[in-house]
Amino acid sequence: MSQRVKVVPRYGDTNKEKLYLPAIFKGMKITFKHLLDNVSDSNAVDTLEYPEEQPSDITSRYRGLHRLTHREDETIACVACFMCATACPSKCIFIEATEREDGQDEKMPKLFAIDTLECIFCGFCVEACPCDAIRMDTGIFSLTGNSREDFVLGKEQLLSYRGAFGEETSCARK
Amino acid sequence: MSTPAIIVVIISFALGAILALLMIPVLVWLERRGAGLIQDRLGPNRTNVGGFRLGGVVQSFADVIKLVLKEEYYPKHISKGRWLMMLAPVITFVSALLAFMVIPFADNITIAGESLRVQPLPVDYGILWFLAIGSIGVIGIFFGGWISHNKYSLLGASRAGSMMIGYELPLGLSVLSFVLTYNSIDFNTMVQWQSQTLFGFLPAWGMIVQPLAGTILIISLFAETNRAPFSVAEGESEIVAGFFTEFTAMKFAMFFMGEYVAMNTASAVIITMLFGGYQLPWVTTDTLLTNFNTFAWTLMVVLPIIVTLIIRWMRKNNRVRPTVTSDGGRAFETKVLSIAMITMTLIVEGILLYLTLIPSPLGSSIAVTLFQIATFVVKLMIFNLFFILVRWTLPRFRYDQVQHLGWYYLLPLSLFNIFVTAIVIVGVSL
Repeated sequence: MSQRVKVVPRYGDTNKEKLYLPAIFKGMKITFKHLLDNVSDSNAVDTLEYPEEQPSDITSRYRGLHRLTHREDETIACVACFMCATACPSKCIFIEATEREDGQDEKMPKLFAIDTLECIFCGFCVEACPCDAIRMDTGIFSLTGNSREDFVLGKEQLLSYRGAFGEETSCARK
Repeated sequence: MSTPAIIVVIISFALGAILALLMIPVLVWLERRGAGLIQDRLGPNRTNVGGFRLGGVVQSFADVIKLVLKEEYYPKHISKGRWLMMLAPVITFVSALLAFMVIPFADNITIAGESLRVQPLPVDYGILWFLAIGSIGVIGIFFGGWISHNKYSLLGASRAGSMMIGYELPLGLSVLSFVLTYNSIDFNTMVQWQSQTLFGFLPAWGMIVQPLAGTILIISLFAETNRAPFSVAEGESEIVAGFFTEFTAMKFAMFFMGEYVAMNTASAVIITMLFGGYQLPWVTTDTLLTNFNTFAWTLMVVLPIIVTLIIRWMRKNNRVRPTVTSDGGRAFETKVLSIAMITMTLIVEGILLYLTLIPSPLGSSIAVTLFQIATFVVKLMIFNLFFILVRWTLPRFRYDQVQHLGWYYLLPLSLFNIFVTAIVIVGVSL
């Protein structure tokens, strides 16, 4: 037991440390060095000059804007099971189901809307979906609009997005 | 008063107003860009007028427009004494501004046998004026905190008040030891004293003659201006925003700008009392005037080198990265600014050449005065940068630490320093 005890050294008792000034100058030397480096070459500062420069580090696991996936015949993969709406902690998914006529499944959403102003981008809907019908792999990280209504995305808009990382169709509903 | 005297007074007053007021946007910009660059980011650099960004200074003017156009809002719970909410920031701002007005920007200029002060208020009791007017600023802070009817504001105001009492004493005492050393209360005489040399090779700057009093003076002035690490009166991590919690729009902006004017004043006082004012080390005004040709030729060589360095720096840094396609007018800006700087350099060179070839005492003394003003401005900017660097390096003191430092360390040290100074001065004069 005693071997695991780590004694943390106490600082601040010597006269040099009580004087404060040496430590202050030490700190100022560091900040001044940063200032000087960055002034002498401001383009080397490691920042992203958004929006001229776009982020290049968005990976396939990035939770961007949602999309509804397709089947191979370009129809909607969703079966309107309401799992995502149930899992949603901010209650921002609105689904109205209807009967599916083409025989692939029994149900499909007549209406599927996500209020992105309410959404917290937690990804629970993606995890809950049994049909791999909703995904967040569009790579879109900024959504703009002129009114509140612009941020409520409907079924057509969600279907219009394509995956940014190669996976187009639903893996569960062919 | 003779005509040259009136002209000198008007020019130095205009210079004082410009140096204090026009410095505000520059300082706000310097603070924001400086903070950015210290923290390895860029700071505001986008705002421009027709492609001219001037490194981002234009942002400050945009800020001012925004603050002026904001709604004039008074909190509902303040029914009486709203005029005090207007008055409080004005007091802080004006006192800082007035305290700046006794700083000499150059040595006395002699025109037609008359020695004229290059000082906005030509008084010979500068340091007393600074101490008197400078400490009025806290009254504005106190009014602001009190009228807000808000516990955070009141806490901030009382912190500012008690800190002022705690630090005015070491400030006054350290100033006193400088008064003893320089044997004068006139800023200009102090600067003239500092242009001597110590042991033949050290410049007799206040910081070298009186290092302890100098350090105490700088620390107390930091406290006086309410800047980090002594910004407990604002203390936004503890008491919202301290005394200006309830202040909005231009009323807030006055407090905000007052802080920068106070910082500017403090750095001017530090330069004047500790770092040789408008003088370069080892060079007195007389040296410049008697060896005017050497001085002019040196300046004619040094000036193009500095301008070349600035232009090269601008060409390197005033451009976008290769990954960005749109230039945003930066190349054009660099070109225009380079041409302007080269033209100005050529004009200055021409004037200096004229003065060396056709010597005139009036022309050379005006040239020396202008050179000293330029030196003063450069030093002022360096010390403003020092203030900014300290703010972005040090964390804020806890309130009790501030009081502890003031009463238990600075006050006894400054008393001790006066004691030693007095003994040395008496010993030397015996």
